Amino acid sequence: MFTMTGLLALGAGVAWLVLQPDILATYHYNQYVIAVTHLFVLGWICTVVMGAMYQLVPVALETRLYSERLARWQFAFHVVGFVGMVWMFRVWNMTQLAHFGSVFAFGVVLFVYNMARTLRRVPKWNITATAVTAALVWLSLAITAGLSIAAAKCDYESAMEQSPPAFVVVMLHGLQSVGGFVAHFDPMSAMHAHAHLGGVGCFTMLIVGVSYKLIPMFTLSELQSRRRTAWSVALLNIGLAGSFVTILRRSPLKPAFALVVVAALAVYGWELRAILRARKRRVLDWGIKYFLTAIMLLWPLSVLAVVLSWPGLPLNKFTGQLENLYGFLGLIGVITFAIIGMSYKIIPFLVWFGRYSRQIGRARVPSLADLYSARLQALGYWTWLAGLAATSGAIVLSSATGVRIGCGFLALGVAALALNVGRMLAHFFKPAFQPFTLPTSTTPKTA
Amino acid sequence: MNNKTVTVDVRDDIRGGREPFSRIMNAAAALQANERLLLIAPFEPVPMFRVLEKQGFVHTGKATASGDWEILFTRRPETQPMKAALAEVPKNPRHGAASGPAQVVEVDARGLEPPQPLVKILESVAALPAGAELRACTDRRPMHLYAQLKERGFAAVTEEQPDGTFLTHIRRH
Repeated sequence: MFTMTGLLALGAGVAWLVLQPDILATYHYNQYVIAVTHLFVLGWICTVVMGAMYQLVPVALETRLYSERLARWQFAFHVVGFVGMVWMFRVWNMTQLAHFGSVFAFGVVLFVYNMARTLRRVPKWNITATAVTAALVWLSLAITAGLSIAAAKCDYESAMEQSPPAFVVVMLHGLQSVGGFVAHFDPMSAMHAHAHLGGVGCFTMLIVGVSYKLIPMFTLSELQSRRRTAWSVALLNIGLAGSFVTILRRSPLKPAFALVVVAALAVYGWELRAILRARKRRVLDWGIKYFLTAIMLLWPLSVLAVVLSWPGLPLNKFTGQLENLYGFLGLIGVITFAIIGMSYKIIPFLVWFGRYSRQIGRARVPSLADLYSARLQALGYWTWLAGLAATSGAIVLSSATGVRIGCGFLALGVAALALNVGRMLAHFFKPAFQPFTLPTSTTPKTA
Repeated sequence: MNNKTVTVDVRDDIRGGREPFSRIMNAAAALQANERLLLIAPFEPVPMFRVLEKQGFVHTGKATASGDWEILFTRRPETQPMKAALAEVPKNPRHGAASGPAQVVEVDARGLEPPQPLVKILESVAALPAGAELRACTDRRPMHLYAQLKERGFAAVTEEQPDGTFLTHIRRH
């Protein structure tokens, strides 16, 4: 459910950019950019990541999910919340946005509670558990910051005039106080600080922490240095905490903390390289190639981060477009590419396990690779890469036509992914196992 | 050397929808050094080739005029009889079994990408002789395995080893 919803949101987001390419070709502080960004972040990335965490965290950390029922409830709040939020951003109705934001936030509370109770059962704490815990904390702070920003944009006078019940008055006074506090900060800085809490604190942290478990598993390798893994997660936490405060306060120390985050990612890349060098499985499949390409994109993203954090950087049309490029490369380049790569490892396994696990040892079951098309994977990879390159160039040049062409390539990439997911899901309706009771040959065989 | 042939006809089992694995594997496990196994099945039992090959058997086969298959499994000269290959060890007290030796089949599922360890272990479980214990060695705790084993009537206990691998003891309930 989470994966399918996420894929729908990804398709809708890319289609939106094809239809309205000026969203990326103009400066990003407008309702459409914020709406489409939340469609990608909450609808696509958050949905798929949450669904994957419900499946992966218990397996990777050798425990059981605390409650599947809570997960189902969260899904309902999540979908209603993010769809409403995107719509209200689009029409710029801040009051209704706050309402849908609260619904979404309640879903996040259920998610964080479910994950926290699951983490409490982990028998052996490791770096992945630490990173997942940190990501949950940053996610909670990102949601709190987002709601606070929305509270600062709301008008409470009309609600007060209707003589609401006492508890509502208390709540409205609380929201007014939060709004008043957030109003002390520059709105752009508050928005950027909020975005980094989610993008770096939650999603990048999860990519780092979970890959320390999954990459050795899928490439038949092992962690090479526990000290490096610990440093990468610690530096990421320190760098993000510092970045949040310095971005919010427009502090000249912004580059220092940006460099701490870059150092964290460099240590992560160092360890990842060592893991890959020690791998027993020499051939890398497309899922891993997608993921590693995403990690390579951290290089240009890091350079952009340091440049944009420079205190003396003037805000003009060009640097505004560089900010657009930074957000685009971060969300659609690094995070989305990494998620698609991991999805090509996780979705086939979930379908295979759900459909064929009962037949293992009783019938001949297909392998994971039989569930999808490697050609479609390759097509999706190259079209996504072409789309990233073309759209990035077009963003820098403020070319709406270029953005449309680039996002057209991205749409092809989404179509390839959707076709492959369709092929996988088709196994639920048309299984490919061969019962042992079927004759396999009619000609005599002598071994 | 005059080899005695033990015949196992599983045609009725398969037509009746019954699982023939345990019967075949019990017969294979009971073979003496000078005995061979003739398997009669309504189709070419390709999956058994792989399973019994791992136990040290080679096979020859042919289709009969009726369309059934007769496969003759003979132990490779260099291999020991299966009973000898199965270690005689005390039963694991955590399984609550009575005292006395039990057969142990060992499966090394290390160095495999998921889900191959799961496949390898469940295929071996399907061929596990009655009363035997399967010991599976894996790189990670086999979290997806337990529900499958329970559904098939097996119990499992996993121990982490000093080298970081995991040893899972599997027995029928």
